[in-house]
Amino acid sequence: MADYLTPRIWLALYLSGVVGITFIHEPVVLAGLMLGALVFSGSSRWKLLRRAVLAIVAFNLTVSLGYAVMAIWQGNFRGDYLMLVNLRVLLLVYLGFWFVASVDMLAALSGMPVLRLIATLAVSQIKTLERILRDFRMAFQSRNLVRPSLLDKTRNAASQAQTLLDKSMASAGDAALAMRSRGAFDD
Amino acid sequence: MHIPDGFLSPQTYLPAYAIAVGAWAWAAKGLRDKLDETTVPRLAMLTALAYGLGLIMVPIPGGTSGHALGVAILALVFGVRSAFVAYSLVLLLQSLLFGAGGITALAVNALAIGLVGAAAAVGVRRLLKGMGDTLSVAVAAWVSVVVPGLIVAIVLGIQPLIAHRPDGMPLFFPFGLAVTLPAVLIPHLIIGVAEAVLTVLVFRYAKARKWPTT
Repeated sequence: MADYLTPRIWLALYLSGVVGITFIHEPVVLAGLMLGALVFSGSSRWKLLRRAVLAIVAFNLTVSLGYAVMAIWQGNFRGDYLMLVNLRVLLLVYLGFWFVASVDMLAALSGMPVLRLIATLAVSQIKTLERILRDFRMAFQSRNLVRPSLLDKTRNAASQAQTLLDKSMASAGDAALAMRSRGAFDD
Repeated sequence: MHIPDGFLSPQTYLPAYAIAVGAWAWAAKGLRDKLDETTVPRLAMLTALAYGLGLIMVPIPGGTSGHALGVAILALVFGVRSAFVAYSLVLLLQSLLFGAGGITALAVNALAIGLVGAAAAVGVRRLLKGMGDTLSVAVAAWVSVVVPGLIVAIVLGIQPLIAHRPDGMPLFFPFGLAVTLPAVLIPHLIIGVAEAVLTVLVFRYAKARKWPTT
C-alpha cells in the first residue's frame, strides 16, 4: 500500500467507490470497472475474485434464476438486467474484499474509539470460537470410528455450546482486564 | 435475513444511512458509560455469538437469506442501544469478511434487524414479563425475527417501483411485494421458532450467572 494512502483515505475511497457504482446502470461500464479493479489489485486478484464469486454465488444464482423463470413466464425477460445486477454485486463484493485485504480495519476505525474497542474484542472472540469449534469437530471425529447417532451429535452440540460460551466469556474477561490495566476504560 | 449488497437503490440506502447515522449517534451516547471489565466480555461474547449465527444461512428464493439473528439476546441482556451498536458491528464484519450483507445494505439491515428487532424484543419482553421468563423471552425472540423480516421484505419489494428504466426493466432488486412478502416472511416464521429456543437457552445461561437482564 502506498504511504500516502492511510487507512482513513482507503476507507473514504472505498465508500465513495461503492456509492458511485450504484449510480452506474450500464453493464459495459461495470465490466470495465471490474477489469480495472482486477488489474490494480495486484497478485492477490484471483484469490479475491474466487472469494467474491463464492460469497455471492448462492444468492445471485437464486435471484437470477427466480428472475429468469418469472420474466420468461411473463414474456419480459431481459438478459442485460442479469448482467447488470450480477456485475454490480460482484464488483461491490470484490471491492470489499480488496479493501479488507489492503487495510487494517481497526486502524480505519481509529476515530471511533467505542466501535474500535468492541470490534477488537469481537474479532478476538470470533477467533476463539473458530478455534474451539475446530477442536471440538476434530475431537468428535477422532472418537467416532462409525457414524455417530443423532443422540451423540446432540450431546456433543450441547457440551460444545456450553464450552463455547464459557471459554468465550473467560477469554473476553482476560482481554477486558488487560485493557483495564492499560487504561482502556478510563476517560 | 440481511439484504445482500447491490440490490438496493441509492434512493433507498442513502436516506437509510441518514437515519442510521442519527440512530448510531444516539445508541453510542450512553454506551461508553456502560462498558467496564464486567460488561465488555459479555457484550463481546454475545456479539461473537450473533456473528456466528448470522453465518449459518440459507438463500431464500425471494432474494435474501434465512438464519438466526441473536439480536434478541443482545437486547434482553444489554438493552436496545447497545444491541443496536453491537449488531451493526456484526453486520459490518459479516459484510467485509464474508461478503454477507454489504456496505450499501448495511444501514437498512442495521435499522431493521439491529434497531427494530432489538426494540421489538425488549417491548414484547416487557409486555409479557408477567407470563414468566420462558414464554416472554421466547415470544420476544420470535417477534425480533419476524418484524425485521417484514421490513426487509417491504424494502426489497419496493425496489422495482422506485428504481427502473423507462421501459420498466428493474435496476436493482427485481421482485415486487407480491413475491418478497411471502418469500421472506414464511421462512422467518419458522426461523423465529429456532431463534426463540436459542434465546431462551442463552437467557437461562445469563440468568444462571446472575447477569442483569431486562
